[in-house]
Amino acid sequence: MRNSYVSVLCIVAISGGIFSCTKEKKVTFGVVPEVIYEDKAKKTKRKTDAEYISILYTNLYQTPISPNQLYKTQNVIFSIGDHNVASELVLSNYFNTSGLKIPADADMRGNIDSFVVNTYKRFYLRYPSEGEKAFFNNYISRNANVTVEMVYTAFAASDEYNFY
Amino acid sequence: MNRREFFKKAGITAAGGVALPYILPSGRLFAQTNTPKAEYVVLVMFAGGVRQQESILGRYLEDSQGVTGAAGNIMPNLFKGSIPTKKIVFGTDPGGNQTAGSEPIPRILSQSMEESGTVFKEVLAQSAGHYVGLNTLITGSSGTAQGLKVRPRYPTIFEYLRKHANFKATDCWFVCNTIGNSYPLLNSSNNKDYGLQYGGNMFAAPVTFGSYGREILGNAKPYSQADLEPMYFMKNFLDQSFGLSADQLTTIKNTDQERTQIKEFVRQIFQRQLAGQIVKPPVTDGGDAVNISYAAEVLRYFKPKFLTVNMASVDGCHSNFTGYLRSMHRADHATGWLWNYIENNIPEMAGKTIMIVAPECGRNLDSNPILDQNDWYAFDHSDANALRVWTVMKGKGVPTLSVGSETNRIGRLTDIVPTIADIFGIYNDVMNSGYIDPLAQSLYNRM
Repeated sequence: MRNSYVSVLCIVAISGGIFSCTKEKKVTFGVVPEVIYEDKAKKTKRKTDAEYISILYTNLYQTPISPNQLYKTQNVIFSIGDHNVASELVLSNYFNTSGLKIPADADMRGNIDSFVVNTYKRFYLRYPSEGEKAFFNNYISRNANVTVEMVYTAFAASDEYNFY
Repeated sequence: MNRREFFKKAGITAAGGVALPYILPSGRLFAQTNTPKAEYVVLVMFAGGVRQQESILGRYLEDSQGVTGAAGNIMPNLFKGSIPTKKIVFGTDPGGNQTAGSEPIPRILSQSMEESGTVFKEVLAQSAGHYVGLNTLITGSSGTAQGLKVRPRYPTIFEYLRKHANFKATDCWFVCNTIGNSYPLLNSSNNKDYGLQYGGNMFAAPVTFGSYGREILGNAKPYSQADLEPMYFMKNFLDQSFGLSADQLTTIKNTDQERTQIKEFVRQIFQRQLAGQIVKPPVTDGGDAVNISYAAEVLRYFKPKFLTVNMASVDGCHSNFTGYLRSMHRADHATGWLWNYIENNIPEMAGKTIMIVAPECGRNLDSNPILDQNDWYAFDHSDANALRVWTVMKGKGVPTLSVGSETNRIGRLTDIVPTIADIFGIYNDVMNSGYIDPLAQSLYNRM
């Protein structure tokens, strides 16, 4: 009986030796955490009308567009020869509705630098260049009538927003 | 710098200063290569496959359905000839117990276009299909190998006019009846020498101004010019920064001012709809009349130098011959009304406009087996008879002439673009572009 206890203890001890946890090795690969943003020069593919509308709607309302609404909007944009005009008209309608998730004009005026950077990230998924930052900083500061709506319309109707 | 050099350089600078403002996008110093014949052109692309026998030949049911004594002209605004007296089904419905469609729509024009303009009675269409047929009318090329769902392979009349005659985008309009069948792509080719930078404006009116358009666009904010200027300024900065190349263009381009004009037009149309002020022909019980109505609205507002509008209801002939007759009668009515509207309601264009009317293709000689409510057979479009069409011209300086006959074919549908180029004084530029059907020429040369 005593021998069997000893045997069991031996087996447990040996098993523990074999299967017990080993000390975790700390491996580092030298990768620096980085948030990836788009590069203007690499945007060569045009968004389809459906992509453009879906992305725009989600951007402005922070909720996806319904398939029915998407279909109708696609048709209407296709029915106008100048798609820039069509987009501007669609935007103008969006800006005449409630439920838009956009900064207030006062927030923009409170920190123009941050607003410009965030707008570039929001629409173009990239940071503005120093020249772009300077342009918008100067333009918004010097023109008291410029609103968030105007800036957003310019971005949403721009050529770059049609590409990815 | 001595005195001689000073005068020499000053002379060159002065000469350049005089010449440079007139250099056109085409690189030419002067726009016209021949004397213009009119200031405005309206091209009516009529109307979805029109059989020669029921249209210009005025044979009504006698030819198509073998009904003896039932010949007659159901297009009184375009062609001369008496209305049929037997089995009339193409008119409006008088109600009561009377036969549906038994009241012909009264002629709008005091004289038919045939009696007051030039008619090419037997013209060769280059295709028996719609899209290639419309391509032919718009490009002056035979449209060989033209696929669906792609822009025209060859430059359109819009591009010729914008490049060689220096027309603005809002000088050139296509009012289209649908967003289907690739028709909205007809406002520009993707040609490397021309392309979207020279494309024309376009509305597929039943969609832009229909229920979808009202829902998606009808709530647009009426921005003031003061609102729009900063938007355009910022957008132009962003666009210049992105630097889209010509081959990456995805849409035609209007200037800031033109874009504002177009948006204002759209806003006004929705207001006019609410107020019941949209101009329209007396009978508007079909899609074609609606499209013609919006073409008239575009003419009224923009006074474009060139506008083309298409109709397509006649294509119902694939399965309903009675419906085809009704649509043809109404397309004639709408065309006559449009001419009248220009002459009586748009003073800037009255007396200065030429209207050209031509189908994009004809229809078959023999029927298919489908019978309609009157037991009449329907017709498709695929045989040699479907290449038989006509062309009518009316307006400033157009002589009263009848050219060709059923047995003497004169003219091709590819002549339309050279004719428009001739009217606007850029004939040689267009003919030398290398993209026009080699057998095509101005219809003025065929008179």
